[in-house]
Amino acid sequence: MRYWSVLFALAAIFSVGAFLYAPFSPDWWLPNPASDYRHVVSTFGREIDSLYLIILIITGVVFIGTQVVLVWESFRFADQKDEAGKPVRPAQYFHGSQRLEVIWTIIPAAILVFIALYQMGTWASIKFRSSAPKVPPLAEITGRQFQWVMRYPGPDGKLNTQDDLFTVNDLHFVKNRTALIYLKSSDVIHSFFLPQMRIKQDAVPGLTIPVWFDADTAGKYDLACAELCGWGHYKMRANVTVHETDEEFRKWLNEKLAEQNQSQLTMATVSQER
Amino acid sequence: MIVRCRLRLLIGLCCLVPTLSGCSDRFLAGPMQYVENDALTKEVKGKNSLAGKPRLQDKVRNALAKLYGEKPDRMIVSEGMGVLLTGGGARLASYQKVGESKLRNLGPDRKPIAGGYGLYRRNCLHCHGVSGAGDGPTAAYLYPIPRDYRKGLFKFTSTPFGARPHRDDLKRTITNGLHGTSMPAFEALMSSDEIEQVIDYVIFLSVRGETELELIELGALSDETDMSALSMDDARQAAESVFNKWKTAQTAIINPPVPAPPSTPKSIHHGRDLFLGRTKEKLDCVGCHGALAQGDGPTFVSQDVFNKVVFGGNPSEKEERLKQFDEKTREVWTQKLDDWGNPVRPANLNRGVYKGGRRPIDLYWRISKGINGANMPPGPNDAAVIWDVVNFVLALPYQPELLTNAPAPPAAQAPAVANR
Repeated sequence: MRYWSVLFALAAIFSVGAFLYAPFSPDWWLPNPASDYRHVVSTFGREIDSLYLIILIITGVVFIGTQVVLVWESFRFADQKDEAGKPVRPAQYFHGSQRLEVIWTIIPAAILVFIALYQMGTWASIKFRSSAPKVPPLAEITGRQFQWVMRYPGPDGKLNTQDDLFTVNDLHFVKNRTALIYLKSSDVIHSFFLPQMRIKQDAVPGLTIPVWFDADTAGKYDLACAELCGWGHYKMRANVTVHETDEEFRKWLNEKLAEQNQSQLTMATVSQER
Repeated sequence: MIVRCRLRLLIGLCCLVPTLSGCSDRFLAGPMQYVENDALTKEVKGKNSLAGKPRLQDKVRNALAKLYGEKPDRMIVSEGMGVLLTGGGARLASYQKVGESKLRNLGPDRKPIAGGYGLYRRNCLHCHGVSGAGDGPTAAYLYPIPRDYRKGLFKFTSTPFGARPHRDDLKRTITNGLHGTSMPAFEALMSSDEIEQVIDYVIFLSVRGETELELIELGALSDETDMSALSMDDARQAAESVFNKWKTAQTAIINPPVPAPPSTPKSIHHGRDLFLGRTKEKLDCVGCHGALAQGDGPTFVSQDVFNKVVFGGNPSEKEERLKQFDEKTREVWTQKLDDWGNPVRPANLNRGVYKGGRRPIDLYWRISKGINGANMPPGPNDAAVIWDVVNFVLALPYQPELLTNAPAPPAAQAPAVANR
């Protein structure tokens, strides 16, 4: 009987091992740029990761403690029989221990209250409308089955005018600049998910929700839909490009605008024809 | 006692059966078969069919199997089609027959590639179906329904009205999707090389489907007892004529002779007058798109009727729902079906949603050459006139007063709406 405890021990060791291994593997660790998988690109990402790690450490310590006790007890006290084959000590039943119960209620409650208070600042700075940055919006992003329709202000810098730039599944912004977008949905609930920036916000039909984020490293990132929105949910993926400089972003915007205003085929396209 | 035993058995089975059978989807991956065109075996209203001509039906089947392969995974690329596809069809799939004999295994580093066939299966088949008939398993839940390639007609093209599309047209559709429909944008999901492979396979399916249709037409004219009818030579000729339609389209792209003029109020107002049919060109945009361009013109059934029939319940019971309306409504309904026999609506131009793209050149193509298969006819020949309409259409979502406050027409017109 006592060798059951070995099985429990193995399960616990495997779980702890997986968590110890994760920080050393880009595939197992949190989503970050491939160049440096431990570097979190966004301000909120760093805050959220620190919260995540705190919770991971607290639960890890509790997990290891309870597992050690569980394994040790089941190893130490199983199979204890006297010469006659009877248990050395018969099982005793008691009605409960008030002191123990109070302890195991107060400690987790205190931990929960600590976490609840400790995360408030982060939550407020990411989600409260009052903390939205006072910057002109980067874009208006509308989720529809099954794509992200993005609308950038054109040369006049205002949204919802005739010179707006429309793209599909193509989000661009500049590094170290807080990007503010207005999130909408034209059909069902979608969820705007930037894994590398640790941003996730539902897009709700009828609401215009401001979302803001930044990145300190230029490069390509992902945008996905994180709310099962229909049969084509998995197709709602988009490219995110973080530009090095404002000029680079402007250049991209102007190229796209020129493309959107195209009224004739270029000579190159025409001569390409067979 | 018996009841108790049965109950136990039932509970036992409930646990056992799912455990033993697992969550396998093997039953879904049975042999893939092309879906035959309905007109091959059944009477189809208003179309030629081979119903009741089993010998000719078999000839069509054999001819298709020889020309394009018997099954989707046994592909044959006719030499004549090769020029339409990248690498002569090499990117369609890893294993395929070229001409009638050779078997080749292609792909970089001699490794098998998914090819257009594999990518299509993964990304497109669930809507567009195994034979490109727009009848995949998810198709029933969509409006507008997915394109049936087998007519060779595609709506948003840069080639003349009724012509086959240019490769770039298909590429635009796949890359950007069709806004306002269920066609997603694949730019973030496939590389441009993969998109080219998918285009190859779409062309392959379209050519195959159109050859099938041509053969049915040909067979409908022939006698079942005529032994020489629908010979393999006839079939090759039919296929060749389909290839040629595609080949011609690749050089027939329409380029506006002049670039779009700036969107001045003068141009926009002239476009508005053209839209309202108040110029000598006598364009009848209002007839379909409506006086406020809300897609509610009098030549179509009202939006209300449309919604009741199309969205009023089980999609397969549209015909029954249509019967509750009077004869006149039903007649208008039948007249305004698209070439695939499906109900369509004129676009509401106030929404700023342009299925075929929002570039001026896209709108130029829509207006100057019409929309294949839909009820949008080719427009005037004068580029300047078209550009004014384009400027108006692009401005309308931002200036609805262009139509709501439109000046009264110069002379009193008979209200078309009253005839409804």
